[in-house]
Amino acid sequence: MRMNFDAPKPEIMVLHGKNITYQKVVDNVLNGIEEEGIPFLVVEMEEADPVELAFRGAELSNLGVGIGITEKEVVLHFIKLKEDQPIFRIPAYSDDTTLRAIGSNAARLVKRMPFKNLDNTELS
Amino acid sequence: MIIAGIDIGNASTETALARYVDGKPEFLASGIVNTTGMKGTRQNIHGVFASLKQALEKAGLAVENVDLIRINEAAPVIGDVAMETITETIITESTMIGHNPSTPGGLGIGVGVTVDIREVNSCDKGASVIVIIPKEVDFEASSQIINHAVKNGIFVNGAIVQRDDGVLINNRVDKKIPIVDEVSLIDKVPMNMRAAIEVAAPGAVVEQLSNPYGIATVFDLTSDETKQVVPVSRALIGNRSAVIIKTPAGDVKERKIPAGKIIIQGTNKKAEINVDDGAEKIMEAIRSVAPIEDIKGEAGTNAGGMLEKVRQVMSNLTEQLPSAIKIQDLLAVDTFVPQTVKGGMANEFSMENAVGIAAMVKADKLQMNMIAHELETELGVKVEVGGVEADMAIRGALTTPGSDKPLAIIDMGAGSTDAAIINKAGEIKSIHLAGAGNMVTLLIASELGYEDMGLAEDIKKYPLAKVESLFHIRHEDGTVQFFDKPLDPTAFARVVILTPNGMMPIPGNVSLERIRTIRRDAKTKVFVTNAIRSLERVSPTGNVRDIEFVTLVGGSALDFEIPQLVTDVLSKHSIVAGRANIRGIEGPRNAVATGLVLAYEEGV
Repeated sequence: MRMNFDAPKPEIMVLHGKNITYQKVVDNVLNGIEEEGIPFLVVEMEEADPVELAFRGAELSNLGVGIGITEKEVVLHFIKLKEDQPIFRIPAYSDDTTLRAIGSNAARLVKRMPFKNLDNTELS
Repeated sequence: MIIAGIDIGNASTETALARYVDGKPEFLASGIVNTTGMKGTRQNIHGVFASLKQALEKAGLAVENVDLIRINEAAPVIGDVAMETITETIITESTMIGHNPSTPGGLGIGVGVTVDIREVNSCDKGASVIVIIPKEVDFEASSQIINHAVKNGIFVNGAIVQRDDGVLINNRVDKKIPIVDEVSLIDKVPMNMRAAIEVAAPGAVVEQLSNPYGIATVFDLTSDETKQVVPVSRALIGNRSAVIIKTPAGDVKERKIPAGKIIIQGTNKKAEINVDDGAEKIMEAIRSVAPIEDIKGEAGTNAGGMLEKVRQVMSNLTEQLPSAIKIQDLLAVDTFVPQTVKGGMANEFSMENAVGIAAMVKADKLQMNMIAHELETELGVKVEVGGVEADMAIRGALTTPGSDKPLAIIDMGAGSTDAAIINKAGEIKSIHLAGAGNMVTLLIASELGYEDMGLAEDIKKYPLAKVESLFHIRHEDGTVQFFDKPLDPTAFARVVILTPNGMMPIPGNVSLERIRTIRRDAKTKVFVTNAIRSLERVSPTGNVRDIEFVTLVGGSALDFEIPQLVTDVLSKHSIVAGRANIRGIEGPRNAVATGLVLAYEEGV
């Protein structure tokens, strides 16, 4: 039997609403993922709840890691967690460093590296 | 009548409560609390109260019911530990960056003159440069500037970045260059200096800049200059990325701090030994001189300072003059400490050699009499000072099922390691040696570079595991444990200490294997060394092999691996050794307290 080599690409799914006004937030999160060197894919969705967006992303992602972004919140989710219990959620008005950090953490979840801190109480 | 035996140890105060019926003791209950204050001082009294109260409550008795309290002659020993570095790497006038950002950018080696990225376009065409990117310039801007400069014929051969932007810049520049990022102290990077930068492939380490001749090749160094860069290359070994900046007045050296001499005054002999010679030579000297009267350090050196500090601490505690404090034993251990490299720019450190010392002094017996007296007034119960600790411990140890005279014990506590041997005739010989649990904690803390002794204490006491996913951990021995609830994200992918109160993540990114090795080495260096040393001293023939049975008692015998380490080594000397089980129920605890009660009938 031959292996199926058409498996979907391993990517972190980043989901956000349509016609967004918060492109800068999305960019910061994506920069975080890129710096850690993990591929990602951005998809627009009708959905407005960030946790549901994130979980939907995790379901779609071959890595099981999804990020949901709305104008209010950025949420990081993992497929093996309960739908209403994401790993991290931060407000969309967080500073650039924190937004990048949640992107990095999505990648670090894949790479199995200790997370960057999101509330400035660095464990180092 | 009811008797309480109370043992004031360095770490814990233990009580054994017994009722004497027809001259035979019947044990009622035990108590254990942390020792208050330094052993052998009046602060101990609070701990004694609490420990006694605990035992009384378990037995359903009150203080008034107690007829006699016997406390240990805590005297002979108090231990203290100290550590001194004997080498130090200092890099002056020359700088290097050798750290492991998790994600450096690019690949390869680049050489050029350091230039602020905002001024790179004023460089001459054809110049070779390394751009310095402070945090004010983001990755979009800096990658555009680099691309622009390269188009104008300036050779940008590398970049040093303050923020964690290495990969982002690398993905946006046309020409691939090595990029070192997360350089916190970037304003210390000198401008217009020749610099070399190297980034290795993932999983590899820098090769050119960790090799003195590699550095010589890059900077055209003479043989004398090459000799001087050895400490730099040494500090860069094992890193994935590195930068060396050559400044004209460069002066790189490894300085050896004069560690000084230790002077051991024995009853019949005297020995002087250089601390530089290492722990082994020091221990040899101590062995040859024993019995020891006092140990001093050469004035004005590190050794002198270290021993005088111990003397000073002891003198404060016992309210005796420092000159009256005699150091009776010393355990020296070779170790290494991470020291920040002077001249580094990203808080680099190098491992420097050090000697750790545990010293032990003979304290004043009056102190215990004073404690006994004070207890007596406060409790209204007769209090007497029992015999020597090790003698009491061996009496307690003999209550272990399956043990009989002749027997040797090793009492592994927090401050000292004691040994005693009892022969068929019931004669006891005992010895107290410096170095025990506290020394292990100190070694772990210093080798891992922790200021926090509590963390080192936890590493000493509990096993480790690695959190491998949000749902499972892998233990030290490789077994995997799953959880049905997700673990705390702060512990994710970290090494954790499995304390009884849950997992405690260890900061930094030291690997589990390394922490485990350091922990086991520290325990071996202290407890295995002291086990052999102490048995040698109590053995009737001076040879360890002439002892047949050994039981291990004391708080450190409760440790999850110390007894195995000791048992393993002693079995090579064909000695049967194992953890005691006092009165068949207490495990290795409560030996001295039990012994104090038992010794009553012998009138000791």
